[in-house]
Amino acid sequence: MKIFAISILLAPPSGATSMLSSASDLSSFSFFQRGSIEEFMTFFAKTVSERTQQGQRQSVQENNYIAHVYNRGGAEQLCAVIICDQEYPVRPAFSLLSKLLDDFISKVQTSSYSNPSSISFPDIQNYLQKYQDPTQADTIMRVQQELDETKIVLHKTIESVLQRGEKLDSLVDRSNALSAQSKMFYKQAKKQNSCCSIM
Amino acid sequence: MASIQDRTHEFKTCVESIRTRSAVGNRGTEAKQRLLQNGRASPKSEFSRMASAIGKDISSTTLKLNKLGQLAKRKTLFDDRPVEISELTFIVKQDIASINKQIAQLQAHAKQQEAKNASTSAEGKLLEEHNKNIIMMLQSKLAETSMTFKDVLEVRTQNMKESKSRTEQFMYTASSAANHPPSMLYRGTPDPMGDGSPTKAFDPKGKSRASQNGDVLALDLDAAEEGVGSSNGGAFMQMQLVEQQDSYIQQRSTAIESIESTIAELGQIFQQLAHMVAEQGERVQRIDADTQDIADNVRMGHNELLKYWGRISNDRWLMLKIFGVLIVFFLLFILVS
Repeated sequence: MKIFAISILLAPPSGATSMLSSASDLSSFSFFQRGSIEEFMTFFAKTVSERTQQGQRQSVQENNYIAHVYNRGGAEQLCAVIICDQEYPVRPAFSLLSKLLDDFISKVQTSSYSNPSSISFPDIQNYLQKYQDPTQADTIMRVQQELDETKIVLHKTIESVLQRGEKLDSLVDRSNALSAQSKMFYKQAKKQNSCCSIM
Repeated sequence: MASIQDRTHEFKTCVESIRTRSAVGNRGTEAKQRLLQNGRASPKSEFSRMASAIGKDISSTTLKLNKLGQLAKRKTLFDDRPVEISELTFIVKQDIASINKQIAQLQAHAKQQEAKNASTSAEGKLLEEHNKNIIMMLQSKLAETSMTFKDVLEVRTQNMKESKSRTEQFMYTASSAANHPPSMLYRGTPDPMGDGSPTKAFDPKGKSRASQNGDVLALDLDAAEEGVGSSNGGAFMQMQLVEQQDSYIQQRSTAIESIESTIAELGQIFQQLAHMVAEQGERVQRIDADTQDIADNVRMGHNELLKYWGRISNDRWLMLKIFGVLIVFFLLFILVS
């Protein structure tokens, strides 16, 4: 489950998209391939964001890569693309995109959209790193995972409680027997006292 | 030359008199009166002009909405006209939005007038109230129209669902869900599927978009369209798009539902746990009572033994003496006899 690249683009409906910010993790490819793959990612991101209408989400597959696109449109006409492999779960990908866009809009002013090189948004790299493991980063998945772990812990707890019950049962029996025996002991002792009348 | 009279002076006095007359009645719109260059005495203030414009817009929108409602009510399976319906919906939506804006402008204007108008005259106050009432009426009319619009949309989606289920019964293809598209996203391009030909002539954007759906196979799309062969192949793609939109939201909701059910399960497990522990608590109490009894019994037995031992240890000396005396007596008895 890997994310290869995340990018944010300015996608006005007239068609000319421009890349505002992007981050990529190409460590799984050999050093010589990285340049061309990076170009491919940029081209892929631009193409799919051009082909997506405003306010729409889409997933495009290309050989091994799937690009999830969310074209938010709105006043800023932003579009976010994430390129990942086929195993990456779809829903957290889209929620990542929404979160990323919200963050971007709050941190970068709209005036700098026309000058992409001036935009510095280092958080995008953090997002990329963090979301490599979606079960930790995505809230819903994390909650689900923790709940599952809790369920396992509870099952173990119930098993140990059952064992405790069995042990308690045996303890009850043994204490019953002991109590009877001590009663006998007391009676014997008493009898001995009363019977010995040798003065 | 006498036929051409110069009546400018008269004209000017007329204008002045009418101006003063209308200025008394419309003190709040004095600034706007300067715009009435030709001296038209109509006291139509900017406000009433805007209000009447809005009223006209509202009535026209209502007409369009009625037409839309009629179209939406039609329940025929094949004669559905998605283009018209979607165009109409779009237009109506835009109209409602613009009317909204106009009403907001009107309200701002009225507030402006109110602020400017520091008059305490009864007329001025009546005017303000009148303006406010007009604004409220317009707003309520707009609200009515939007409610009707919403109802029409609901009826439309219901009909779509019904027709979808009916087509599923009749047409046994994998993509039979596509026969009746939602009209919201359709951008009003003319339906290229009128002659039933596959989408080669369709604009490539739509085609690529559809094939990028999660299903991947463009072949699937082609086969389905040829199988269906209806005029709604273009619309089929949009249905996929909407499904894509819906599916994200649906996935989210299913994920959250599963979390909810997990939490409920956990709650149940906790309850079971508590029950078992309570049951075991009762056993522990029994054990506790038993051990108390044991302790008591053992203690008392111990006491008895102590008493016995005490008695014996005290009496032994005496007993030895008694025995000794008895033995001496015995010996004496035997010796004597």
